Amino acid sequence: MNLVYLGTILLGGVAALDATPVGQTMLSQPLATATILGLLWNDLPTALEVGIVLQILAVSTQPIGARTPEDYATGGVVGAALALALVTRQPFLLIREASALVGVIAGLVVAILGAALTRWLRRRNESLGRWCESELREGREQALGAAHRAGIVLAFALGVSYTALCLALGLWGLTGAVQMESLRLAKAWNLAHPLWLGLGLARMLHAFVQRRLLRGALFGAALVCAWIVLIVEAP
Amino acid sequence: MSLSASVLRRMAVRASLLQATWNYERQQGLGWAWSLMPALDRVLPDRADRAARLAEHTAYFNTQPTLASVALGVVAGLEEQRAQGGPVDADQVARVKGVLGSALAALGDRLFWFTLRPFAACVGLLLAVRGSWVGALAMWLVYNLVHLGMRWRGVGWGYRSGPAVLAEGLRPALERLIERIATLGSLLVGVLMALLLVPHGEPREITFQILLIAGLMLGLLTATRARPTPSQWALGLGVMAVVSAWLR
Repeated sequence: MNLVYLGTILLGGVAALDATPVGQTMLSQPLATATILGLLWNDLPTALEVGIVLQILAVSTQPIGARTPEDYATGGVVGAALALALVTRQPFLLIREASALVGVIAGLVVAILGAALTRWLRRRNESLGRWCESELREGREQALGAAHRAGIVLAFALGVSYTALCLALGLWGLTGAVQMESLRLAKAWNLAHPLWLGLGLARMLHAFVQRRLLRGALFGAALVCAWIVLIVEAP
Repeated sequence: MSLSASVLRRMAVRASLLQATWNYERQQGLGWAWSLMPALDRVLPDRADRAARLAEHTAYFNTQPTLASVALGVVAGLEEQRAQGGPVDADQVARVKGVLGSALAALGDRLFWFTLRPFAACVGLLLAVRGSWVGALAMWLVYNLVHLGMRWRGVGWGYRSGPAVLAEGLRPALERLIERIATLGSLLVGVLMALLLVPHGEPREITFQILLIAGLMLGLLTATRARPTPSQWALGLGVMAVVSAWLR
């Protein structure tokens, strides 16, 4: 169990790196991290339940220009891991739905608060930039490599620490609530789940359609055709 | 043209760290200098000249990180011409860098953030809603086929075409790609919505369908507003659901 927690926290660091400093390959997206966690914790359905909702909401978060986006990398890891940890403690159906709700809400809170941490890291990097330029003016080229190593280590350490802290706080503060109020939380999940999916789908649709009638018509036609096919093909 | 393929490859690999030291003052400036270093190592053998040039390149720079590879190739070519005594001065390099940064950002933001990323997510979600781990892999592959492909090949495109790289067919090709992905994406969102409403051939209960459409309407109505952000809306909806479950 300790190894599973260790793997989860390290994944938080890797996701923090992939989100901006290294690669930007979408490995840090909630669907990817939730799937990895689902395999790690041996409970893919619960992980996907949370990962799908957070992914559909994360799609509309754009890291454009100097904007600091919400930290869905850490939010995705903490949300899915929290749900998985809560379900492991009491594996009943109601607990699973209650845990999924708590996971998504925790993931959203972590993502929103994480933007402030990202801003802090970026301000911290300003002094690294000034130091590096002055070293280069002195003829020390190796400063560029050192600055990059420092930037990567700092981002990884911050990702690991933030994930560990949020996960620990979440488990400490929410385990009792999920066990005592699982029925109400499961009801809340049934209410919030479709609303979140609809909200995310709308943002995705808006990104693609862009007021083009043809694309809007394609969406409608695909919806109706897929609906008919799914109903007809049902056993 | 003396920069070898291995130098261009090393630049492309280093471009993965373009944002490792991202900050509000210089944005991608440090990462830019780090990525350009293999080319400057080759064209400026004098250590002091090279360090001074690298220091200049740590100044402010920002663009869409994937397409930055194209600008890197262009600037590597200009630095090479400058080192060989060609009609290129440092101001001209800085001007081209700035102009390309803005032009590539405008194109890259639309391609990667507004179109390809939602499209890849949509492909992944289509598989994941059926409970498969393959969804995450599909999302990663669809995105990186374009993202890593352009990151690795972009340096060569920029180096060979020079400052006119966008005018020489790259812009129309990327515009066409955006159009096609967006059209296909509209179709996939329709299929995804149908899969959410009829998950295993059995339609979901009417409450679920009504709530999903309510969420869709709310999302469309608020899509053009910057505040509250979609995450804040989602959090608000989550809190509202918890409160209403308590009050019922």
